[in-house]
Amino acid sequence: MFLSIPERNKKKGNGMNLEGEHIFNGPREEVWAMFYDPNVLASALPGTQSLNLVDNNTYEGAMFVRVGPVSGAFTGKLVISDDVPPESCTLTVDGKGAPGFAKGVGHVKFADMGDGKTHMTYDGEVQIGGMLASVGQRMLDSVSKSMIKTAFESLDKALQERVAAKAEGRAAEYKPPTETEFAAAVAKDMGKSVFEIAEVRMVLYVVPIAIILAILGYFFWR
Amino acid sequence: MSTKVIGQRIKRNEDPQLLTGQALFTDDVQLSGMVHAAFLRSDHAHAMIKSIDTSVAKKRPGVLAVYTAEDFGDYWHVGPLQVPPPLAIPGAVFNARPLPPIAKDKVRFSGEPLAVVIAESRYIAEDALADILVELEPLKAITNLEKALEPGAPLLHDDLGTNLAADVRQEHGNYAEASAKADVVIKRRFHIDRGAAAAMENRGFVVDWDKRSRQMNVWSNCQAPIPLRNTIAANLGLTASQVRVITPFVGGGFGPKIMTSQAEDVLLPWIAMRLERPIKWIEDRRENFLATTSERDQIHDVEIALTKDGKILGFSDTFYHNTGAYDPYGMTVPLNTHTHTTGSYDIANFFTRVIMVFTNTMIVTPVRGAGRMYGVYIMERMLDIAAKQLKLSPVEIRQRNLIQSNQFPYKTGIIGQDFVENILDSGNYPATLQKAVEMIEYDKFVKEEQPRLRAEGKKVGIGVVCFVEGTAVGPYEGARVNVDGTGKVTVVTGISSQGQGHFTSFAQLVAEQVGVKVGDVRVITGDTGHFHWGAGTFASRGATVAGNAIYTAATKVRNKALDLASKVLETPLEELEIEDGVVRVADIPQKSISLGELATRANPMRGTIDPNMEPGLEATAFYGPPHGATGQGAVAMIVDVDPETYAVKIKRFVIVHDCGTVINPLILDGQIQGGVSMGIGNSYYEQIIYDGHGQVMNASLMDYLLPLSTDMPLKMELGHISTPSPLNPLGAKGVGEAGAIPTPAAFAQAMENALADEKIEILQSPLSQSIMWQMVQEKRK
Repeated sequence: MFLSIPERNKKKGNGMNLEGEHIFNGPREEVWAMFYDPNVLASALPGTQSLNLVDNNTYEGAMFVRVGPVSGAFTGKLVISDDVPPESCTLTVDGKGAPGFAKGVGHVKFADMGDGKTHMTYDGEVQIGGMLASVGQRMLDSVSKSMIKTAFESLDKALQERVAAKAEGRAAEYKPPTETEFAAAVAKDMGKSVFEIAEVRMVLYVVPIAIILAILGYFFWR
Repeated sequence: MSTKVIGQRIKRNEDPQLLTGQALFTDDVQLSGMVHAAFLRSDHAHAMIKSIDTSVAKKRPGVLAVYTAEDFGDYWHVGPLQVPPPLAIPGAVFNARPLPPIAKDKVRFSGEPLAVVIAESRYIAEDALADILVELEPLKAITNLEKALEPGAPLLHDDLGTNLAADVRQEHGNYAEASAKADVVIKRRFHIDRGAAAAMENRGFVVDWDKRSRQMNVWSNCQAPIPLRNTIAANLGLTASQVRVITPFVGGGFGPKIMTSQAEDVLLPWIAMRLERPIKWIEDRRENFLATTSERDQIHDVEIALTKDGKILGFSDTFYHNTGAYDPYGMTVPLNTHTHTTGSYDIANFFTRVIMVFTNTMIVTPVRGAGRMYGVYIMERMLDIAAKQLKLSPVEIRQRNLIQSNQFPYKTGIIGQDFVENILDSGNYPATLQKAVEMIEYDKFVKEEQPRLRAEGKKVGIGVVCFVEGTAVGPYEGARVNVDGTGKVTVVTGISSQGQGHFTSFAQLVAEQVGVKVGDVRVITGDTGHFHWGAGTFASRGATVAGNAIYTAATKVRNKALDLASKVLETPLEELEIEDGVVRVADIPQKSISLGELATRANPMRGTIDPNMEPGLEATAFYGPPHGATGQGAVAMIVDVDPETYAVKIKRFVIVHDCGTVINPLILDGQIQGGVSMGIGNSYYEQIIYDGHGQVMNASLMDYLLPLSTDMPLKMELGHISTPSPLNPLGAKGVGEAGAIPTPAAFAQAMENALADEKIEILQSPLSQSIMWQMVQEKRK
């Protein structure tokens, strides 16, 4: 039986594959340290309202999510396991709210590239439900990609500022984009249709909640 | 006899009201003190309910109450089944799992209600939904029909120990013997996936309990107002007369509005009695995808056995049918498949078996074409495949197998949705096919046009199929016709109307018999305060079953008027005629009396009456058929397929139909065209897509594609043949689902023909541009 496009995309494992990479222009230790800085992360991930450590490896957080026509408050829980600082960890995310739910397991790795750069890779699988799945489906892929891209751009800038500040012996200053600017960047990407499904290998179905809460939860307050 | 009104192509009585915005729909009902309901629906398709905390929601200003299953106490109950199990079929296994109105302990499909909020406005109610804290423990969901029956599959109903909902086999003749003797046996597997009814008006419900008169009024766009009335009364311990269900104008039914056991039906009347406030619930579009039943999801393993001349010796079909999470509507859909597979053809040996399966998806109940479409699809597809193998044209192989006019009544030996043997009552099947072939100029297209267009690089193809439409099943409907002192006529019947033109076609039936203008007949449908006997609008039965009751009641009124006039005018009956609202002596037209005057005399206020007299010019009648009447027809269509995008233009669409006596050809055309548009949607655009976790992935009209006016045929031509049914006084058969049934099969044949170079074989429905693209790419590998 030949499947419709959404069915085809989801066939593998019946969840959404979450896979991607990013090269940070800075040493691994600096990248790792950056993720300890709540200001940096908040700047990259607008919409986050709170994140609290409830026990040694469990965090709870809240954020406001917007995927196309779907928006609303989201609360999430994150469990960290197998963490090997500053190299890798496994993140299990379970978030829900008025817009639906997301559950996922992801693996994040930081590799030292030897030229002062850090190669971050992540992969995992996310299951989504509720309005996010039933109405947000069409937007999910492109909005997620764009949000991740915009988030990484913010992190890149923050990293450069950290490296520069360190070299100059001053405190780093961040100019985070506002939620509006962030949304505008996402909208611009959507308009350009730069995220049409072209790459067959990397089905980058990243649910913003999962990845954002995952990264945020892991490094924030750690 | 007065002027012939039945069969006249007249405009619809109801249209001025509808077109000027004067018609009352459920959402137009505004009552003093009315509050609004919103349902919290499960995001998970399969989960245990750990806790539902409504305390915050209850505190929101404007919220009157919030209820979960627990809050309904002893009132919470499942079912009963809306349609009884198929006990008439020997050996039938049926596991009844009726619908709970609101999930208790366990959730079985995404969208199942978890809580209901009652608030001063819908806005407040929806905001309060977000205040409810739900703890669900997700379970592995099952959506695949075959995997659901494998050992170790997650169980929807733990107590049942299996996901098997039913297993029913029927055989006529002996397929095994027939296939052993066959020259050719062909086997294929078909998948037919799910679509939405997608009525323009979503479901709606308004309930008002008057404590002082102890009377409940309900406005609902339900297709079955009397069963709904009965259910509500029984649930609440009221007498049926204490509940009045009114179905005002309805913006399309198409099947799912037959439900009378869903959350709003069961819960809102109970809540209205407790809060002593009228309550309104109007479904929104997204909710419609998650809260309204839908249909189609079957996998068929099919075999056809033929002689080398293309004569069918036998046909065998074993299929899985998805009933969704519960089976409140019994087996209507798969039994329709059983009775529609052999369709228009004379097949001596036929085996059919349905394996009905529970899955974590929306409950499946009939949607226009219900069950019939799959049967027609697999038979027509198998004939196409056989024709290619036997080097026959699609037309030839059909001609060789059609039931002939002298074979009626044709007994199929298969029990249908009405629990009696399906008997094809009448028709002229070869004539419908012949007419369709002639209208589309089949030979000319194949021999001249297609080669010419192909030479120009066009991918054009033709498809021709036949179909039957089982309609007008029992048990019965009734009607009351009344002429009042003004001479105007009112007819009331129990079925409800969803846009079928009943206000005109029923008026025509009455006008012809009673001798008044069509515009002087007021038709009231679906108001239990006016008439409270009947089963509802389904299975294309309104015009035939209710229509015959109306016709019979009108005939009684006519006779009553003539009897009375005969006494008043002192003239023998046979010398009287009724025309233009007047009974007169045929030879002496000035010797007459109006119907209004007769109505007044038939209802004296003083004096004495004949002891046997029933007052007024009024009569009630009922009609119940011994079995359904079967319409039949043929479709021929020509498609032009874009070789790059697989976008399809339907160049021509011919449908020839025989629904017996036609009451109003204009309404008939509308019904057929509407059905065809739905059939086109089912063929190439509409598909409800579930992921493996039971999540609906396209619950909006942005992603769920309804066909647009531009997707309709450039030219739609209707042909009619009329073979009156011997089953009823009118000679009528239903037609409401005709267009939806054959279109996917014709579409598939036309697509294969258009893409003949690619040698693809279409074994699924619906198709889409991307599916066609994949199919071609796969074949080219």
